[in-house]
Amino acid sequence: MKLEVKDIVYSIDSKLIVDGVSLEVEKGEFVGLVGPNGCGKSTLLKSIYRVYKPDSGAAYIDGRSIADMSSRESALEMSVMQQENNVEFDMMVYDMVNLGRFAHQKMFGGNDKIRERQIVLDAINEVGLKGYEERSFLSLSGGEKQRTLVARALVQQAELIILDEPTNHLDIGYQYQIMNILKRQGLTVFSSIHDLNVASCYCDRIILLKKGKVVDVGTPEEVFVPQKIRYLFGIDTKITVNEATGKPNIVFIPDLET
Amino acid sequence: MAKMKTSIFPLQKRPQYITFCVIMCVLLAISFIMATRLGSVDLKFDVVRRVITNRILGREVFKVDWGESTETIIWNMRVPRILTAFIVGAGLTLCGILMQALTKNPLADPYVLGISHGASAGAVSVIMYGYLWFLGGYGTMVGAFVGAVISIVLALRIATIRNKVTATQLVLAGIAVSALFGAVTNFMIYYTKTGSDKVKTASYWLMGSLSGASWETLKYATIAFVFCLVLILILSKRLDVLLLGDDVAVTVGLDTDKLKLVIIILATLLTGIIVSISGTIGFVGLTIPHITRSIVGTKHSRLIPASVLVGGTFLVIADILSRVLVSPEELPIGVVSAFFGAPFFLYLIRKSHGQFGG
Repeated sequence: MKLEVKDIVYSIDSKLIVDGVSLEVEKGEFVGLVGPNGCGKSTLLKSIYRVYKPDSGAAYIDGRSIADMSSRESALEMSVMQQENNVEFDMMVYDMVNLGRFAHQKMFGGNDKIRERQIVLDAINEVGLKGYEERSFLSLSGGEKQRTLVARALVQQAELIILDEPTNHLDIGYQYQIMNILKRQGLTVFSSIHDLNVASCYCDRIILLKKGKVVDVGTPEEVFVPQKIRYLFGIDTKITVNEATGKPNIVFIPDLET
Repeated sequence: MAKMKTSIFPLQKRPQYITFCVIMCVLLAISFIMATRLGSVDLKFDVVRRVITNRILGREVFKVDWGESTETIIWNMRVPRILTAFIVGAGLTLCGILMQALTKNPLADPYVLGISHGASAGAVSVIMYGYLWFLGGYGTMVGAFVGAVISIVLALRIATIRNKVTATQLVLAGIAVSALFGAVTNFMIYYTKTGSDKVKTASYWLMGSLSGASWETLKYATIAFVFCLVLILILSKRLDVLLLGDDVAVTVGLDTDKLKLVIIILATLLTGIIVSISGTIGFVGLTIPHITRSIVGTKHSRLIPASVLVGGTFLVIADILSRVLVSPEELPIGVVSAFFGAPFFLYLIRKSHGQFGG
């Protein structure tokens, strides 16, 4: 399972949001997409997972253009976890996760009900929500909702998972928790990430995006250096090594003298 | 603090769900029986039973000891009317469910969105100007369908901003579309000489009434309703997925564009036919799915059969009220349903305060 993005261009009202992005995510890799607000991260991801239709360029899974697949075909290859969107209609956690099985289930019976049920329960278990099956989705906390959505993405059993701001609005404990869950699945992951230390901790490679363009690609050690972070976010940093993970630890040095 | 372990929907478990449906069926049967008896002429239940048995079996099981007018009232007026009430109630409920899945908004329904008014305008224009004469009795239905299509396209265009339908937008779009098509209908009525039969028939569309029900119209409506119901039940899993929002639905594997097109066609077809036989009856498609959803849950495979039963029963009862309350006169059924539905609509708007204002 290899994701390839070739020259995607996307504009809104003739303003370029994604300006010719090409990248690759190899099988089994955990790749992070990092960049300041409004740099086009989410737009780029949405052009890949077919919510937006790019002006030009395309995304490919194992050489097949995603745009040419049916929704069902692409859902079997790639699952997507988006920021929690507002659902107007409440449903039970179990049913919410079960909807992730849609692409696998046949319309007219013939489904192995016991197996289907087990897959859903396993995923709920995996994200630590055992016992929540019959709870109302809308009554959950932000972190619980996000974990439900992770479970829904997991039951899709696609090898590639794309995460669009998966931990936005979550406190730091949940951010690490969700990343941990994803990391141990051994899937190919492509995720936009806000917190640089979270990115540093989990990503094999990191893609830096600014003004709709890829400015650098490399391991956390390669891309998280003070001048690059300064260029991207306009803040000074000191890079140390996190003794627990062996990964770069980014310490921010705000300019307090004004 | 102990975690709450209650299920959100009281009757989502299978046995309870089935019990609920059985109770609804019993309630429906009772209202059916009451509806054949009550009205401007009260009839003995025994007579009603014997007339219907004779008619259904097609032979004289019971000796005819009642007048011909009694038989006409029962068999040619009340029975088709009650069955029509059921189909109209069930059909409007189905339309509501479809519109709500389409817009992902619990406030959507053919009446709120102005589609019923569009269908009315279409039907009235056919009656007034008779330009679909070559279609005979189907003319009004086709007119209503065309009106429904035009108004749904208009309403959705206005209500959709960047692929999202907010409650405010939805209600505003509905007001605008209703006003527009209401004006068109009124214009046609006032432009024609008052007092004519045509005007009378047209006014009937504006208020909603079942007094024109006959076996003939019931037949069309039933065929259309059953066709739509079966198709929607087949699509019920897809409707569940669609509720997640278009963006998410695509990534889970749903072809949203195709499904939305099917929903629009089914909803307009059904609305058109229902309006052509009953006029504009409001709020059924809004209140019934909402109440049923809070009882049996959001899953469409459960929601649809249950709410079809509830909606059908509701309108049979509303019809009884419309005939009994001001007997021997008759209230338009649209008035009765609005008395129940409108306050509920207000409550829903109040409840969705999160989306309004601010």
